Amino acid sequence: MWYGFAGKLLRVNLTSGEFKVEELDKNELRKYMGCVGYAAKLLYQEMPAGIGPLAPEAKVVLATGAVTGTSCPSGGSYEVCYKSPLTGTWNQARSGGAFGPKLKYAGFDFVVIEGKAKEPVYIYIHDGKVEIKAAKHLWGLNVEETTDTLIRELDDPEISVATIGQAGENGVLYAALINDRGRAAGRGGIGAVFGSKNLKAVVVNGRGGIKVARPKEFAAAIEKAEQWLKNYPLSSIPTLGTVGLVSLNNSLGILPTKNFQETYFENADQISGEVLNRKYQIKRRACYGCSFACGRYTSVMSGKYATPPMEGPEYETVDMFGPICGVDDLEAIIRANYLCNVYGLDTVSTGMSIGFAMECYEKGLLTEKDTEGMPLRWGDGEVMVKLVEKIAHREGIGEFLAQGVKRMAEQLGPAAEEAAIHVKGLELPAHEPRSESKVLALQYAVSPRGGCHMHPNWASTWDFGQLDCGMKEFGMPWPPKEIQDESPQKGVAYRYVALQGEISEILGACIFYSWGTEGSCITPQLYAEIVSALTGWDVTAEELMLAAERSWNLKRCFNAREGFTREHDKLPKRFTKAIPNGPAKGLKVVNLDAMLDAYYEAMGWDKATGNPTPEKLKELGLEFAIMSS
Amino acid sequence: MAKMLMVDPSLCTGCHRCEMWCSLTKYGEINPSRSNVYVVRREPAVDVPVVCIQCGLCINVCPTGALKRDKKTMAVVVDKEKCVGCGMCTNVCPIGVLRIDKETKMAAKCDLCGGSPACAAHCPQNAIRYEVANKAAAKRRELWAMAHAVRNR
Ligand code: SF4
Ligand code: SF4
Ligand code: SF4
Repeated sequence: MWYGFAGKLLRVNLTSGEFKVEELDKNELRKYMGCVGYAAKLLYQEMPAGIGPLAPEAKVVLATGAVTGTSCPSGGSYEVCYKSPLTGTWNQARSGGAFGPKLKYAGFDFVVIEGKAKEPVYIYIHDGKVEIKAAKHLWGLNVEETTDTLIRELDDPEISVATIGQAGENGVLYAALINDRGRAAGRGGIGAVFGSKNLKAVVVNGRGGIKVARPKEFAAAIEKAEQWLKNYPLSSIPTLGTVGLVSLNNSLGILPTKNFQETYFENADQISGEVLNRKYQIKRRACYGCSFACGRYTSVMSGKYATPPMEGPEYETVDMFGPICGVDDLEAIIRANYLCNVYGLDTVSTGMSIGFAMECYEKGLLTEKDTEGMPLRWGDGEVMVKLVEKIAHREGIGEFLAQGVKRMAEQLGPAAEEAAIHVKGLELPAHEPRSESKVLALQYAVSPRGGCHMHPNWASTWDFGQLDCGMKEFGMPWPPKEIQDESPQKGVAYRYVALQGEISEILGACIFYSWGTEGSCITPQLYAEIVSALTGWDVTAEELMLAAERSWNLKRCFNAREGFTREHDKLPKRFTKAIPNGPAKGLKVVNLDAMLDAYYEAMGWDKATGNPTPEKLKELGLEFAIMSS
Repeated sequence: MAKMLMVDPSLCTGCHRCEMWCSLTKYGEINPSRSNVYVVRREPAVDVPVVCIQCGLCINVCPTGALKRDKKTMAVVVDKEKCVGCGMCTNVCPIGVLRIDKETKMAAKCDLCGGSPACAAHCPQNAIRYEVANKAAAKRRELWAMAHAVRNR
């Protein structure tokens, strides 16, 4: 009997058109706890180094965790784990909506997808049954059309559809997988991986539910979480959505603007959460089981950017299609977001690729000859929206933009290097490492999937947010030195920030709930209470920490095996130069190396390579990941 | 004065927590398909919680007399000794909130949790409330009227 988990893994081979159901081993699962922890083990062991991310041999794991689909308030997530075609690194993309919960109700914790179908297919998983069905009629359709067609065809309005749009079919290197019409497993190009496998969609529904080992105790722990979240420090997330951050970040000079050339945007008040709420919001929308509802539906009623009701935009997207491109027209931003939703594009990489092109145009590195006669001027919303279309179809200049910032810069030569804002090929999200937080600067440098502020945590919680998230008792340095400090303390702190975040990742929880202090968020200690009552496993916070550390180390090992070392843990050059204007004028990153040293040391990793030592891996019971060389 | 469940779809975010709490309370599991409150979430942007209004139409069609009104809460409740799972009640329910539970094979419906509804206590948006009857009635009139008015707009 399984509590908390479904207890099964589904393995689908698209080449042979066969699938098999595997029982999970309880001890092995508990060692990694689930979700990305277990997925890291699967991919490390089953996907040898050097496999092309778009080759048939590449594998994809859809993963849920213990709290996915439960009434734990953060339980709406699932993660897609794979090797990224954009970066060549480990990647995981989290998404909310109903997909993860329904996959579990259908009877599976994990789906491993292998091989490549001859013709387009989709996978239909419902109540323990699995079908691989023809998808020729869906190929070429966008996300909305695909979702609606499948609902009609399968005659079930309650299915959850995770699908790619044209961008994934066309192999845009940052194409997303979109579930429930507007929730994106966005970063790193999973959409292109699906496209390369001729896999259009995965469809799930189930009525199996999740059994609880100790229901009364579980209800009490959830009630405690509900109470604690009433004191949540980032209370604007529920009321304004994440877009509420636009005004705040601008006033602090941490709003990335014009491809990170600046950190302050004159017209930020025209694209604020308040304006979005007042003029374009239809309603607030939650992921399955979520008590915050950060999501919202918006639309533009008329005009050249008329947009039907859609999910979004959230903060990252508003910055990317707004300040990053110099655009102050919220309607153009909403339209661009909509196009990303329906074509299946990562809004961050799309916006950054356009911002990069605009800077290159400003500097004369791209001319109208390259751009089909279109001037790529800062602030031109119309051109921006047109570019999104072109990227999705890889048409004209869109073909060039579809490769992402790193490859574009390589083609344009050294002069473009300065404008290439990425780490390991992943375009940076909308947070400024020079001014927001120096722990964030470190995270950008070392994050397994490249320049990422969210996996496994929002690094700024500790010094910018002044939040310990329940980690003080594990030894997290406290109080934080000021935001601009770049001493070894930052490196040590990041170990705790990362491991705390990784606990959410291995539980299948949304990260938003773990930012606070005891009594105002779901701390690792409270997660341990919840998971114990749910699974009957009597898990402690220490055990969660250890499982998180395993997962964190395995991802590093995955990348190490692909040839990544300390020299890849670096920031774009721009961040070593001072911010030119705004409230954060003069700030820069000067001492990344000291923070790196301290971080590797705190992790028990080799300082020269930045990779886990054999001793560390032995200590964690990960002997299989010790490299022979 | 008796209390009733009252819903306000305009506040609902479609989170399904009410369904989760209902199944957790009734069966010790988390399973929206074993819930007595239903959240109809459709695209784009439709979220409507649907609950039993305790009208009692089902009482009359039950061949075994398994459905009766609880004196204290005024909820229609299922007598587990008498229900044979024939499904007559589900056929007659005007809003489709009665179901035959797939495990117990008996009729399952909202019993107002004996007077302390789990769904209402845990709805994070206050979209389901347990209110005195006349206030709940006023809200229902409003919803009924608006549902019809929408078509004219
Ligand atoms: S708990 Fe409340 S907000 Fe959530 S689905 Fe139910 S009625 Fe709607
Ligand atoms: S299912 Fe049970 S309660 Fe419903 S009509 Fe039949 S016997 Fe009566
Ligand atoms: S009152 Fe109780 S039985 Fe009725 S829907 Fe709410 S939780 Fe379920």
